[in-house]
Amino acid sequence: MSFKAGDIYNLPFTVTNERYNGFIELFNDKNPLHTNDEFAVGHGFKGRVMHGNILNGFLSYFIGECLPKKDVIIHSQEIQFKNPVYLNDELQFKATILDVYESVNTVEFKYEFRNVETKVVAKGKIQIGILK
Amino acid sequence: MEKNEILNQVLSVFHDVLDNEDIVLTYETTANDIEEWDSLSHIQLVVAIEKKFKLRFTSKEIQSWKNVGEMLDCIKEKVA
Repeated sequence: MSFKAGDIYNLPFTVTNERYNGFIELFNDKNPLHTNDEFAVGHGFKGRVMHGNILNGFLSYFIGECLPKKDVIIHSQEIQFKNPVYLNDELQFKATILDVYESVNTVEFKYEFRNVETKVVAKGKIQIGILK
Repeated sequence: MEKNEILNQVLSVFHDVLDNEDIVLTYETTANDIEEWDSLSHIQLVVAIEKKFKLRFTSKEIQSWKNVGEMLDCIKEKVA
């Protein structure tokens, strides 16, 4: 298996206007927290808060496209949102392999997204399977 | 560790992973006896058991188990 505990992957991601609008177009979540600056500011944010689930798209890209093997499948993933992400925020993604379970061809990652202020905006775990 | 003590700890893993506190395990139990025990939850069970007992199975060992009792024997051997 080309994975070992402790391996680290770093990737930059940006929540671009294209991704933000694409997410709304695809899933129709137009909640004012995500679409109305005034509403978001009124609730203590600096502006429209990006949908946290855009980050799940980045996770999908990471697992699907950035690992040394393409024959992988996500078994489970969890995400905790710690701080808001705003339009055009540049995020640094870091994933670390926590453990490899060769008996069942399974790899467990922990990951985090940090913004330019190095604050963790989201973190969690992903478990993937290596397809036979 | 006695086999029955291992059974109790494995049972708690099954309850947690399969989200069903009503599951009962005997040495003769197989995946056919538990509705929630499918191929994906099998992976979750193995991972959770490896974590709980701080051990590693091989794929050969897993494939050789015919029932829960044989899995317990394998754990017993490794934690001895």
